Amino acid sequence: MINNRIEKLLSNVQKPGRYVGGEINSIIKQKDEVDVRFAFCFPDIYEVGMSHLGMKILYSQLNQVPFIWCERVFAPWVDMEEQMRQNDVPLYALESGDSIADFDIIGFTLQYELSFTNILNMLDLAGIPLKSKDRHSLSQLVVAGGPCTCNSEPLADFIDLFFIGEGEEVDLEVIDLYRKYKKENRSKQEFLIEVSKIQGVYVPSLYDVTYNEDNTIKSVTPKCGAPATVKKRIMTNIDNSYYPEKFVVPLIEIVHDRAVAEVLRGCIRGCRFCQAGFIYRPFREKSVDVIDRQCHALCDNTGYDEISLSSLSTNDYSKIDELLDKLLLWTNKEKTGISLPSLRVDSFSTELMNKIKSVRRSGLTFAPEAGTQRLRDVINKNVSEEDLLKTVTTAFKGGWTTIKLYFMIGLPTETLEDIAGIAELGQKVVDTFYNNPDKPRGKSVKVTVSASSFVPKPFTPFQWEPQDTIEMLQKKQRHLVSSVKTRKIQANWHDADTSFLEAVFARGDRRLCDVLLEAHKSGCKMDGWQAFFSLPKWIEIFKKCNVDPAFYANRRRSFDEILPWDHIDYGIKKSFLINECKKAYENVTTPNCREKCSSCGAACFKGGICSEKR
Amino acid sequence: MKNVRIWFRKVGLAKYISHLDLNRCMLRAIHKAKISLWYTQGYNPHPFITFALPLSLGICGERESMDLKLEDDDITKEEIIEKLNMALPHDIKVFDVTEPVMKPGKIAYASFIIKIDPENKNADEIVIQIAELFKQDSIIVSKHTKNGYIDMDIKPYLDKTVVTKIKGKIVISTMIPAGSTFNINPNLLCDSINKYLNLNLFTEITRINIYNESLEEFK
Repeated sequence: MINNRIEKLLSNVQKPGRYVGGEINSIIKQKDEVDVRFAFCFPDIYEVGMSHLGMKILYSQLNQVPFIWCERVFAPWVDMEEQMRQNDVPLYALESGDSIADFDIIGFTLQYELSFTNILNMLDLAGIPLKSKDRHSLSQLVVAGGPCTCNSEPLADFIDLFFIGEGEEVDLEVIDLYRKYKKENRSKQEFLIEVSKIQGVYVPSLYDVTYNEDNTIKSVTPKCGAPATVKKRIMTNIDNSYYPEKFVVPLIEIVHDRAVAEVLRGCIRGCRFCQAGFIYRPFREKSVDVIDRQCHALCDNTGYDEISLSSLSTNDYSKIDELLDKLLLWTNKEKTGISLPSLRVDSFSTELMNKIKSVRRSGLTFAPEAGTQRLRDVINKNVSEEDLLKTVTTAFKGGWTTIKLYFMIGLPTETLEDIAGIAELGQKVVDTFYNNPDKPRGKSVKVTVSASSFVPKPFTPFQWEPQDTIEMLQKKQRHLVSSVKTRKIQANWHDADTSFLEAVFARGDRRLCDVLLEAHKSGCKMDGWQAFFSLPKWIEIFKKCNVDPAFYANRRRSFDEILPWDHIDYGIKKSFLINECKKAYENVTTPNCREKCSSCGAACFKGGICSEKR
Repeated sequence: MKNVRIWFRKVGLAKYISHLDLNRCMLRAIHKAKISLWYTQGYNPHPFITFALPLSLGICGERESMDLKLEDDDITKEEIIEKLNMALPHDIKVFDVTEPVMKPGKIAYASFIIKIDPENKNADEIVIQIAELFKQDSIIVSKHTKNGYIDMDIKPYLDKTVVTKIKGKIVISTMIPAGSTFNINPNLLCDSINKYLNLNLFTEITRINIYNESLEEFK
């Protein structure tokens, strides 16, 4: 419960509903009846953080345990932050209204690199020392999980321990150990040494990193018994994995305001630019009955009238038709809609369309990712132009007139011809509309081609690749615009400046810790928001810290260089990634996991598609 | 199919639910309570839901109403109240269900209680100051409109306004024009106090009731 001091600030801020808690299904416990207080922090605003499925799962799961009270914390928007700083109100958790400085464990989820400055700002707003070495007691333990922990080196000075992989089991193991050490009055150092022995826990302070003269890494040496490589954790059987029956239902509208079912984890595709496609392997499906039961429980407990079937690629769910039929048995009656957030170009059928159409006719979005077949082969996006045109024909017949196509620019081996190919592909979609005898009458077609800038990421076959310079990316953006010849196509693109910074931090090392600290001191925050991001400011900070950002973003690494994340093990073999990278240069594709196993290494987890009989 | 007017209180943290969000919140609660709404029969079917007089963000309401068109003719008042209260956030409570009598367009006045926490100041003095302020010939405040800020005199609307001290707090009880044609936001009274008396105190505003032109309670 928030107190009067906080409430007084609310008359001066936008959307006060972000800051008050009290939502349906939020969990209130008595603080003196629990042993461990866990502040689950999302380093972005409420509406973004509350939409995040991982947080919903772990919040409910931790609160299932009687001795843990997990509360939610979000970054306040700048107006609220100003009020809080002026009135000495520390960053507080929504359930109790207590400062997070009073918590045992402060956990952040790392979803994207541009939220790193918000982490420092949130710690600062709570009055918690930023650097791990300046926090001496066992309490105020700062931990982090999420996809960006696959290369967490830029945060190594600030975070006490990282969770690698899926958190459902390892979070509880770590909290159990914490509880034991807290009762025994043990030191933080003793705890960190012991916790590093749990699989999936990475304690950065137990690794010494040395550098060569050219600034590349010379060695990473574990100490105090920490393992040489930290292997990720996964849930081998996701049917048995914890899933909440209730979501906290926000009082205000959030980004994804609906019930979410997780139908599968991992991805069979292996698109070479996609980090998620590799770090979440192996591909594991939930069974139809389990998903159906979880969906129904969620709708009953929240009142949501829309279910999103979420995953990296929901069409790859092997029993998608069976699942939809089963859901439709009750969703139609209860006036609940079903939506599929990610559609693949090659699997959009009339049948599927009819089942989800009942919801609402917003635009359809597909991601061919590259404009020419050659480049789509390079990135192993196994869809053809024919697939796309067949799909949009189906969509046009079904009455859709707005199609959005996502592309990336700056991909390895890309030429200006590939860029022009984006506009040409858009044109072919427009032509398909007008050649379609069944097209909706009296309506025009609108095709949006949206180009984001490629950011090379760790644990992908392109992890050694240089990112195009900002100048080159902007040149390609201009080329895209000049290649569009009709007003039926609208071309837009993401700002190359933010992609550049994302590339720096995605493959950064520990020398970026000082840069982050300096950025925080210079007032950098909410970098993911266009209104706040300033590249010139960042360039100045890099200069001040004597760090060259191009070293991280625009440099080609050799296959034998020690990468900052080499001591983290996602099961994917480096030799597999090297091989994939070489195949990319030869325009050779790799079959998906269902067609043929390519021995990436994820079979070591003995789960999902890797252990299915084929 | 039947029309019902649902009466509820919106207090505590629920005052931070904006009108649009309240609409969503109510629809979710109705869906969760499995009360069947009547849907429009057009291309884009949607339920009918109307709030008589939307409440400004940050203001509590003791007698709020929402009109619904239900599919089920047989559902009882008690059933609706019980089911909805099970599904609503803690700070929204349904207390009655009636047949709509007056049209929302007939609303002309609303009564409010404004409670001001004197914090470390002298409450009696502030009560006197506010009473003096409200006796002035004109009280000019800046009002936000579609075309920016305009200066407005709120004095003509303060004839049914009383300032007292209750349990250490400054309490202003007022009845001011409300409704879709002409509306005075009670925040303007607080603005005038902040402006003329240079105070910035913790204030809670609650709408107590709504009335028609003849000051009959809205039904």
